[in-house]
Amino acid sequence: MTAPTQPATFEVADAAGALQLCELIKTFPGRDGPVTAVDHVNLEVAPGEFITLLGPSGCGKTTTLRIVAGFETASGGQVRLDGRVIDDRPPQKRPMAMVFQSYALFPHLTVAENITYGLRLAGRSRDDIASSLQIALTSMNLIGLDRRSPHELSGGQQQRVALARALVMQPRVLLFDEPLSNLDAKLRGAMRAEIRRIQKMLGITSLYVTHDQDEAMSMSDRIVVMNRGRIEQVATPEEIYFRPATVFVADFIGRANFIEVVPERVTAGTAEVTVLGQQMTVAAHPALRPYVGPVYLMARPETITLTPATEGGLGTVLRRTFHGHTVDYEVETIAGTLTVAEAGPDPRRLFDEGDDVNIRIDPARAYLLAKD
Amino acid sequence: MAVLVQSPDHPSTDEKPRGPRHRRRRDAGVTAAIVLSAAVVLVGSVYPVGAVLTTALSPDAFGRYADFFTSATDLRVLRNTLVLGLLVGLIGTATGFLFAFVQTRLAVPGKRILHVMAMIPIVSPPFAVATAAIVLYGRRGAISHGLFGVEYDIYGLDGLVIVLSVSLFPVAYLGLLGMMRALDPALEEAAMNMGASRWQIFRTVLLPLLAPGLAAPFLLLFVEAVADLANPLTLGGDYTVLASRAYLAVTGEYDTLGAAVYSLILLVPSIGLYVAQRYWLGRKVRATITGRPSGSVHLITGWTRWPIFAAAVLIALFIATLYGTVIVGAVTRTFGVDNTFTLAHLREVVTGVGREALLDTTMLAAIATPVAGIIGLLIAWLTVRHLRATAPWLDFAGTLGVAVPGTVLGIGFLLAYRPDLYVGPVKVLPGLVGGSAVAGGAIAIVLAFVVRSVPAGLRTGSAALTQLHPYVEEASTSLGATPIQTFRTVTLPLIRSSLLTGLSYSFARSMTSISTIILLVTPNTKIITSQILSAANTGRYGVAFAYCTVLTAIVLTSFGLIRLLVGGSATLHRVASAERQPR
Repeated sequence: MTAPTQPATFEVADAAGALQLCELIKTFPGRDGPVTAVDHVNLEVAPGEFITLLGPSGCGKTTTLRIVAGFETASGGQVRLDGRVIDDRPPQKRPMAMVFQSYALFPHLTVAENITYGLRLAGRSRDDIASSLQIALTSMNLIGLDRRSPHELSGGQQQRVALARALVMQPRVLLFDEPLSNLDAKLRGAMRAEIRRIQKMLGITSLYVTHDQDEAMSMSDRIVVMNRGRIEQVATPEEIYFRPATVFVADFIGRANFIEVVPERVTAGTAEVTVLGQQMTVAAHPALRPYVGPVYLMARPETITLTPATEGGLGTVLRRTFHGHTVDYEVETIAGTLTVAEAGPDPRRLFDEGDDVNIRIDPARAYLLAKD
Repeated sequence: MAVLVQSPDHPSTDEKPRGPRHRRRRDAGVTAAIVLSAAVVLVGSVYPVGAVLTTALSPDAFGRYADFFTSATDLRVLRNTLVLGLLVGLIGTATGFLFAFVQTRLAVPGKRILHVMAMIPIVSPPFAVATAAIVLYGRRGAISHGLFGVEYDIYGLDGLVIVLSVSLFPVAYLGLLGMMRALDPALEEAAMNMGASRWQIFRTVLLPLLAPGLAAPFLLLFVEAVADLANPLTLGGDYTVLASRAYLAVTGEYDTLGAAVYSLILLVPSIGLYVAQRYWLGRKVRATITGRPSGSVHLITGWTRWPIFAAAVLIALFIATLYGTVIVGAVTRTFGVDNTFTLAHLREVVTGVGREALLDTTMLAAIATPVAGIIGLLIAWLTVRHLRATAPWLDFAGTLGVAVPGTVLGIGFLLAYRPDLYVGPVKVLPGLVGGSAVAGGAIAIVLAFVVRSVPAGLRTGSAALTQLHPYVEEASTSLGATPIQTFRTVTLPLIRSSLLTGLSYSFARSMTSISTIILLVTPNTKIITSQILSAANTGRYGVAFAYCTVLTAIVLTSFGLIRLLVGGSATLHRVASAERQPR
């Protein structure tokens, strides 16, 4: 790790880039007519911001990234960098650098040659290249590996070389295509922190693609949740988790119970509902209007608490799944089967299958949203 | 907490984002590469084949088709051709399968030697096998007559089938070997697990899975067999096939129109089957065998392995006698008759009249090889990475050099480039073919070498590129490299070993090619293979063997030389395994 006292570090480009995607469309020819991979995507990435495109496979996130990089040509819409349309620029003329899923290190070049590849093509001076290399090796913790071949490195080291190779180019925008998916779980955690640390230190605008929600939640300033080529929601990780815009988002990020309710009083952003005999005021999606009919109350499993019921509780425990740090219950109620998670379970006070329980939902963490 | 963002959000834009899309302009280097490779395939194969087609479809030619399909002689030629293709396809594929099966499924000793034996015919010059077969197994053959006292008439269909099967089966062997290695052993383990015996596994799992894979080498061998000219000329006797008939029309009867007609009739099945093999079956086979093999192959250890093994060993021995004869025959006065050692044949070839042919052929092939290798790789790179709609066309045009029978291509060259080329009254291009041709016909010969060899570079190149994940090249682009810079600094070094294979193969092909070249040689430009033909046809077998031996030696030496120049390495394999995607 670099020392805290102003170490030699990557120079930041003059300014981090502002990225703008306007009405991006991408269709591919399919067997039964064209398939829309990216469907009217609009997004603004502020300079220095770390934005993650998150979604299931085939949601269009990678295609969107590749359009930004210039590897794919959009069927419609525009990509702008600092207000200037860059659709006509070939990928090598875009001041962006990409970190690939499989690292894409050049196997016939050494670590040093890989890192300086772009600088050498750009015709930088020998001294310039040497000092950039030194900075990259130092700050990416690669000292002593510069003469190795990529295949002699561990996965984590390869990943750091790939990152260093992108960073020495001083890109206005850094692009990541699922860069951690080939690493094992422990290393992945460490690399997340490393990438985020460097990105913050340099203030580089970053667009990051992943299907791992945990990765997205822990790294991003904002998350873009995509589904079937469309953006479902753009928001901070906290908002995405507690105020999902759609049922898809709520379901895709973490786990959620959806309880069908008829809201009683809907005013700007809040509503009153009665669930399992519990009357409460909860936050509601701002687009929700009064008298819309049944809507969903979204409650995360960890926001529901169970208490023992002596006689005729609100629910019956159907199944208990023990995970160690949590225990999951499936509870049958008149409102449907609910999943409840209890963190840090006490082994002496576990419910058994068949136990009657009372149920309390935390109204502060529940959220009302429209059915799709 | 911030207010929920409406989705999808709409950033305010003053410019209308949609509208007519202007496509990004293509990189100048890529355009140059396209123009260059298109020019080579147009001049080298598309235009000559076009010349054959226009001649064969001109009004003058129509009467000839009526003649052809009413003449018993001509119909017999057509039938002969098809029967030959069918038999060679069947026997060659079966032999290839036998060798691949022994190699991948039997627990027997000496597999490496068997593999080498099966590879020998690939580098062998034409006529070598045919001439050796005559000397060993013909009417006065050293084995057939000398050992068993049989006067076996090897000329005709049986001799052709044997010789062509031996020469061509390595193609089937290599294809099937790869396929059987790629076959997931877990499937066989699953069958075994459910109680299937070895024979049942073979019948119910292995054969059905390989069935589409067997069709491809069959078609390929069929096409090669019907296109072959060298063997029918030496071994055909009065068994005439279309290729030798067309050749005779040009060289014996000076009837180019007739030759064009025979060519077209030969062209229809060869191109059709080639296309079927390459584009249609290729896709099918890949769909059957997918995924990475897991589990391990269980080799057959019971007694059944011995008869199968014995069959393969017998064939290998047969091959060994043939090639042994070529080498021994080169230093024997008259093989089988006067078995005294002599260097006269070799001397004639190396220092005597053969010298000129050796030098000419080697020089022309040496000029053609790098051109063919680079053009082949360029086409592969363009079709795999840069072109979309036009990719199949360029690929097909590049492949035309081998899809078209060599004789037909040669006739195309005659039709297209023998006359001086005029635009209006101005002579823009003097004749390239014939006695009065520019540079003694050398230009046409080099061009023919190039187009016959381009497909080899193209195939190996596109196979290597398909293995190489595009991410590696995109990484280079993303770091600011233009397409040509990427090709030079990343792609080329990574597919160097396949470039090596492509170059070696194309040199070997040029040195040993006969069917196209034989129509293009002039008194000023002598080519080894046509010298072999005249030696074999005049019964000077010793000289023919000497030529074959020297030719093979040159080819093998050049393999080493190319390896030294290009630098063989295992880079590709490393890349292939490093870049395999988890998804």
